[in-house]
Amino acid sequence: MKLEGKTAFVTGGRGGIGRAIVARFLAEGAAVYAADLTPEGSLAAHDDDGSRFVQMNVADEAAVIAAMEQVQAEAGKLNILVNAAGIEIEKTIEETTLDDWNRSFAVNCTGTFLTSKYALPLMRAAAKSGTSASIINFGSYDGFIADPGLAAYCATKGAVHALTRAMACDHGPEGIRVNAICPGYIDTPMLQSFFDGDGSGGGGQNIEQLQQAVRDVHPMRTYGTPEDIANLVNWLASDEARYASGQLWVLDGGLSAQVQQMRL
Amino acid sequence: MRLAGKRAFVTGGRQGIGRGIVDAFAAAGAAVTTCGRGDRPDGLEQSIIWYNLDVTDPQAVQDLASITDGTDVLVNNAGVQVEKTVADSTDADWDAVIGTNCRGVFNMCRAFIPLMPKGSSIINIGSISGNHADPSMALYNASKAFVHGLTRSIAVDHGPDIRCNAICPGWINTGMLEAGFDLAGDHKAARADALRRHPVRRFGQPADIAAMAVWLASDEAGFASGQMFTVDGGMTAASPLNPGLF
Repeated sequence: MKLEGKTAFVTGGRGGIGRAIVARFLAEGAAVYAADLTPEGSLAAHDDDGSRFVQMNVADEAAVIAAMEQVQAEAGKLNILVNAAGIEIEKTIEETTLDDWNRSFAVNCTGTFLTSKYALPLMRAAAKSGTSASIINFGSYDGFIADPGLAAYCATKGAVHALTRAMACDHGPEGIRVNAICPGYIDTPMLQSFFDGDGSGGGGQNIEQLQQAVRDVHPMRTYGTPEDIANLVNWLASDEARYASGQLWVLDGGLSAQVQQMRL
Repeated sequence: MRLAGKRAFVTGGRQGIGRGIVDAFAAAGAAVTTCGRGDRPDGLEQSIIWYNLDVTDPQAVQDLASITDGTDVLVNNAGVQVEKTVADSTDADWDAVIGTNCRGVFNMCRAFIPLMPKGSSIINIGSISGNHADPSMALYNASKAFVHGLTRSIAVDHGPDIRCNAICPGWINTGMLEAGFDLAGDHKAARADALRRHPVRRFGQPADIAAMAVWLASDEAGFASGQMFTVDGGMTAASPLNPGLF
């Protein structure tokens, strides 16, 4: 029970990766707020996971303020913030409408900015009281190297990476650590949508063949699970990671250790 | 006991980061073997096996690997540093730094990879100096970039069976850090300046690096491979050009 006595807030907490993080935090003894647009999130099935659900659009400033007021009133502090809410629009910039672009940045960047901004006083309170304060943002390996047909998404994740370093510099002296996790291919509704989509991911190919081809490009010959990501989130949230700050933690089964694969 | 049932082999376990990893692995339940040049160090826990081994000697490494029957976790920590520019470095400096930091890691990996079972983990100690140059550390910086490149190669070539990652420590309180400060004219001012360059306002401890090593050695890190994991208190997240320090 690494997180006993800690309070955590997870945006996108009912999505593919978010649910795994919430479940892990609960198993480690934390009190967990799971924020999402709906109780179901991106997964159709809804089960009562023991977290406290907060209905919140991360891009809506008033909603974020109200959520943090609720945490203030009920818990008085916040030890862990995970900015896992994110959307992916599968388009090149030519196909991307201004509305697509603005929606991508609203959720992936503005959401991370607003939630962190209004969580900071609660996290400072946690740090001052001698417990730890850790913010974990969601970047992506796409913030380093581009997947085709994901232009706005890649750009938002590069922005999250830079924001992570900036926040670590600004708030490290206050005892708040800030890191980003950069997942590769993880088995989530977002990945299924990428496979199904008519962008460069799908394109009418046999989905099973496509999935196998994607696995084969990975040195470990598999893509990851939400639980793989939750394992590292849990470490970064815990006091064991007390010296880890300002970093972008790639977890992709070795995918980005390689250069482009020649088809021989 | 996150490493219960695992056998771990750590090079350079006499002191500093290596000793921190040896102690953390033992505390996490691993059966730990370590080595160094010379006799068993004082205070090493009785359950830990010690070998007198020079990792630069390929035959000695091969002979030892064959009598240990492999390992589940290999940590290539043994390393040396020479504080010189390229122009000042001698052939003996080259042999010392490249021999231990590069050839030593290669010797260990070549000898142990065939003896490591599916699901095992190699952890190399790289450095932030492998990504960005520390001044007057030319051969050391280059040797750590070699370690990073070798780490990716092992992850790609042996991925189905073995995970391979590197930890890139920042400035950790060890004899090596003190040697770095000895280069400064004003030792005290150099320390104060260095601390202000760390967002968390302290240097690392061997235990900080050992905590990452335990995670990478454990099955929780089952999808982590081919990566450099920096643990430096936020130092390299900030630009080295810091107007606040002018």
